[in-house]
Amino acid sequence: MLKLTILALSALLFMGCSMTKEVKPWEKGNLAKPIMQFEGLHPLVAKFDAHVYFSKEAARGGNGVAGGGCGCN
Amino acid sequence: MFKKTLSALLFSSLTLMALETGETIPKDIQTQLNMEEDKVYVLNFFASWCKACKKELALVNKVHNEKITNIIGINVDKKKEEGEAFVQELELQFPVIYDEEKALVETFSPIGFPAVYYVKNNKVLHTIFGAVDNIDEQIASDIKEIK
Repeated sequence: MLKLTILALSALLFMGCSMTKEVKPWEKGNLAKPIMQFEGLHPLVAKFDAHVYFSKEAARGGNGVAGGGCGCN
Repeated sequence: MFKKTLSALLFSSLTLMALETGETIPKDIQTQLNMEEDKVYVLNFFASWCKACKKELALVNKVHNEKITNIIGINVDKKKEEGEAFVQELELQFPVIYDEEKALVETFSPIGFPAVYYVKNNKVLHTIFGAVDNIDEQIASDIKEIK
């Protein structure tokens, strides 16, 4: 009985660790909006930011992601 | 009692399984789709925000116009008006169901968009997920194989 209670309580506890709701492919409309692009709406601003970063840090790269939002391919 | 509660807890997070090849469409969805017997249908799930869908739909429309098979489009936009505007913009000729309640898309649960399902006698025969170049040729060759 005690074991089962502990098991039940642990199950309840670890349920909180699981994702509450997965975003399904048909719910990705907001992610597909241009504003959701990693570099924002204006590529020129992103380029300027990258230039500032390069000048300050003497490093570049690691600031892009591939793919869109619809889950295709 | 505890065992039952425990199993209920463990399985509570499981979601509905997707429809896969060889499976039959549930009765309530069959009624909604209203497909004729012994005819092959291509169900195309799309949304206005999906760029790949836009590219593909022009070719799917061509398949419909060439009467290669029966096409049913299923729009999954949040708002019906968005879907209607998209359909008008692309001048789609085939029938489109606006799945505002998400009953259809949640039953089929495609893993990506655009999603194509080949259905005959309410049974899923084949699926294509994601963008395909020359989808019109792909559908035509698949239909030949199925027939």
